[in-house]
Amino acid sequence: MQSVLSNQTTRKRAAQSGAAGALWLVQAISGLLLVLLLLLHMVAHHFVVEGGLRNFQEVLAYVSNPAIFFLEIVFLIVVTAHAMLGARAILLDLGLSKSASRAANWGITLLGLAALVYGIWLAVAIQNL
Amino acid sequence: MAERDVVFKVLRYKQGETVPHYDTFTVKTDENTTALVALQAIRRDDDPSLTLRHSCHHGSCGTCGMRINGEEQLSCVVNVQELGTPTVVVEPLQNAPLVSDLVVDMAPFFDRYTQPEMPYVRQSEFMPEADVPDGIGHYTRYENCLECGLCVSACPVMGSDASYLGPAAMAAAWRVVAEPRGSDPEFALNWADNEHGCWRCHVAYECTEVCPSDVNPAEAIMSLRGELTKRKFRRVFGLGK
Amino acid sequence: MQEYRTTRDGVRGERPLQAWFDVRKRNLGSWAFAINRLTGMGLIVYLVLHLIVLSTLLQGEQGWDKFLEIARSPFFLAFDIVLIFGILFHGLNGIRVALIGMGIGAKNHRSLFWVLMFIGAVLLVVSAWKVFTI
Repeated sequence: MQSVLSNQTTRKRAAQSGAAGALWLVQAISGLLLVLLLLLHMVAHHFVVEGGLRNFQEVLAYVSNPAIFFLEIVFLIVVTAHAMLGARAILLDLGLSKSASRAANWGITLLGLAALVYGIWLAVAIQNL
Repeated sequence: MAERDVVFKVLRYKQGETVPHYDTFTVKTDENTTALVALQAIRRDDDPSLTLRHSCHHGSCGTCGMRINGEEQLSCVVNVQELGTPTVVVEPLQNAPLVSDLVVDMAPFFDRYTQPEMPYVRQSEFMPEADVPDGIGHYTRYENCLECGLCVSACPVMGSDASYLGPAAMAAAWRVVAEPRGSDPEFALNWADNEHGCWRCHVAYECTEVCPSDVNPAEAIMSLRGELTKRKFRRVFGLGK
Repeated sequence: MQEYRTTRDGVRGERPLQAWFDVRKRNLGSWAFAINRLTGMGLIVYLVLHLIVLSTLLQGEQGWDKFLEIARSPFFLAFDIVLIFGILFHGLNGIRVALIGMGIGAKNHRSLFWVLMFIGAVLLVVSAWKVFTI
């Protein structure tokens, strides 16, 4: 009557479980971290600044502070990881086939890496202005 | 007797048709009429081709699950007049293949649920100190789950990921962990520790909301997650098993 | 050998968006999930825009000033409120999901939600006032 979903024995499934739980944990912990980092980010960038936004010179002076630079890079990494894992969850919720979910994993990884490379390059380039 | 005519809008589908449609029937109800009895009246008086599943009529067999006004219910314990709507919309369960009218194929449900080593009888009811009448060896109590499939129909993840293990089966898996009684909790944990297992849940709690038997699958799935996370931490920090 | 047959049928079709976002007759948890998913998708889009906008800094002072002018327009400020709502909802609801998933507060997920949302509402009002007065 209906097609069988492929030979997914329970033991085979268990063997494939691999990173599922670890990735969930990363998603949860990065999320909790983001609550703090984002709060810091918003306050430091907007709420303590006259007019809510820095002018060009102020931005340059601000990011040349190594502590701020470090914090921003950490923030970039955590937010990118969290966003990419979220996008991955949405894709996996669609019940993708094995090959499609492998493609999704690769696509998500590449996209995340691209965002990181671009972000770090941008931060360094701004420092060197 | 407060008799009232109620309009039933019932999803209809027969094998070979491309899309389902709705038929409407008017049913005389009194203050005791249940949705199941009303549907049986439609079959008896209006359309003998209306198919539905039912057995016990008192909410313990779990056979007559369907969507009534968009909510998963056991139709045998839904009082039609208490619904308070002039039209009652009746549809089959979701996330199970439609066979005919209100009947869905439960095989995919049992494929997941009837795993080896999953419990049907509660060990806790065999307590030696239990006070049983003469001539009776012990009380036997079955697991709370009726296997009605309401939770699977209501689950938003089940609705998009057809290979999700689903709430009922994972609630059963958690029972093995909570009360192993000779079964292998490791097996149940590994079975649920899967990309389409307990990590796929998004905590919508719909399974628990619609469960007619207080199984609370959502909490069971969260317990699986908690237990697996705990084990992972222990493994990472080398605190033994 | 254990096999899982599919839960789908040809006549009702696949409707993932309906499964996630059709919250009619659904309960608190489904609303929370649907809004969490919507805000999550929105925040990914925002993140991309944010990274692109920051590249205007490389065009020097003129590029940045042009952006500042846009960013201070009332329309943009209203958009900021939507953004802050998204962040607050996603972040606070996320705390609930993370805690429950680690086995904390699963029994009280409803009250946990409302406590977090109350905090969110207060923070939203404070930030909205900040955005328009700063």
